[in-house]
Amino acid sequence: MSISFRTVSHLNEDQRDALAEIVNIGMGQAGAALAQVLGEFVILSVPRIRLVDSQAVPETLAELVGAETTVSAIRQPFHNHLHGEAIVVYDEHGCRDLADIMGHDECTDERVEQELLLDIGNILAGASLKGVAEQLQAEITFSPPSILATHVPVERLLDPEALDWSYSLLIEVNFTLEARRFKGHLLIMLSEDSIDTLVQDIDAFLESL
Amino acid sequence: MPSSAPEGLLEFIVDRINVGILAVDRAYRIILWNEFMASYSERPAREVLGRDLFETFPELPRKWMERKITGAVVLKNFSFASWKQRPYLFRFSHNRPITGGIDHMRQDITFMPVLDDQGEVTHVCIYVYDVTDTAVYQAMLQDALRQLAESNNRDGLTGVFNRRYLEESLEYEFTRARRYGHRLSVLLLDLDHFKRINDTHGHLAGDEVLRQAARRIASAVRNVDVVGRYGGEEFLVILPETDGDGAHVVAERIRALIAEQPVIYDDTAIDISTSIGLATLDEHMAAYTDLIERADGALYRAKDNGRNQVVAHTPGG
Repeated sequence: MSISFRTVSHLNEDQRDALAEIVNIGMGQAGAALAQVLGEFVILSVPRIRLVDSQAVPETLAELVGAETTVSAIRQPFHNHLHGEAIVVYDEHGCRDLADIMGHDECTDERVEQELLLDIGNILAGASLKGVAEQLQAEITFSPPSILATHVPVERLLDPEALDWSYSLLIEVNFTLEARRFKGHLLIMLSEDSIDTLVQDIDAFLESL
Repeated sequence: MPSSAPEGLLEFIVDRINVGILAVDRAYRIILWNEFMASYSERPAREVLGRDLFETFPELPRKWMERKITGAVVLKNFSFASWKQRPYLFRFSHNRPITGGIDHMRQDITFMPVLDDQGEVTHVCIYVYDVTDTAVYQAMLQDALRQLAESNNRDGLTGVFNRRYLEESLEYEFTRARRYGHRLSVLLLDLDHFKRINDTHGHLAGDEVLRQAARRIASAVRNVDVVGRYGGEEFLVILPETDGDGAHVVAERIRALIAEQPVIYDDTAIDISTSIGLATLDEHMAAYTDLIERADGALYRAKDNGRNQVVAHTPGG
């Protein structure tokens, strides 16, 4: 796990370990819940946590997701105690598997495909964020998810010129479904002001141990 | 629930708010049905409370909704649906009975789990937002964007493509033809004695001649060919997958069709004709502009030779 740059770099070792543990436990809970809803075992990777500069977003995404990949993605806003957006990135081949899991006969048209991306994205992002929030004993509320982009190169998912923040805390987890080709990435991006809140939460978590 | 709200206020608001609110228990029995739902479904609360949601509204997509509700229950989390993917859940009429243009109320749906003190989900609350206006505006916007894109590509007077679009198309076709070794020809047309027509019959007559000429050219080519107005009285025709001989046949057909009948304007018959320069892609050409240059050279010779004729650029010539 790499934690770098300004704010996060002043986390001491205990804080860093605690954050990693909080995210790991949260994701573990998410995995269990997902298995129950999807009827499939979801394998979640070890989370990667880093502070990203908005100008470096395209390279960071390419590095995490894999360059030269064409992807579709949804965004799931969350607010309340922590504030930010989760982005779920899908590779091009996932749709048929998704259709099957969600009880559709096939990936018939664009509308069905988009609904699947939104549904799975909402479930993944929701379960993961709730898992993390529970560790922090915090409430998180969700707004409706929306399509971010379909069939674009990964570098073009977010345009740095259009981002009005300078840095964000990014938590990346990739997920695969056992016995299927399907693969995706969950990127939880915290707003700047939420990073300070998170640091306070980590301290509270450490005190409670 | 905030204890500070006067008794009955929250119930009153939930009942009257301009959002559909209903709740079901774990067995899909309806236990809350606000005024919005009652008035649009024309089913008052006393008729539906306690009844099975799917038996009462058999048009609901049961499998899909059960999955949504189960998701909200198991994950104890919000789940959503948008009109963009699923136009509506409940088949309600909308508040545009006059200005309409849309069949049923467009709806955004939120499924919210309701938890008890032990943190267990007892009910699922469903919000139904009327987003018909948003859907109508979106349709209008898309329509406007389509028209804008279309009008950006068209010549206002004649309705055929404009020069900008011609150059874009030719560049695309040129690159493609070069890459895959396909054939490509262009025709550059210039109406004969157009200045004299303008001077003799007036600019409005000249405009009509341009419109008629454009129509005749367009009627003489295939669907895949691109016809546009290149300049004042100049037209360009792009002929993909066409060699010099094929292009010559098309050019001769256009020339004959234009000269065949006079243009009638204000009861006056105006005789028209066109000179045509033809150029075909060869390996010496580096850019799409080379094609236009060669066609322009051939057109010049057609004018020089006495007009109303087709001249093809000869390679090396």
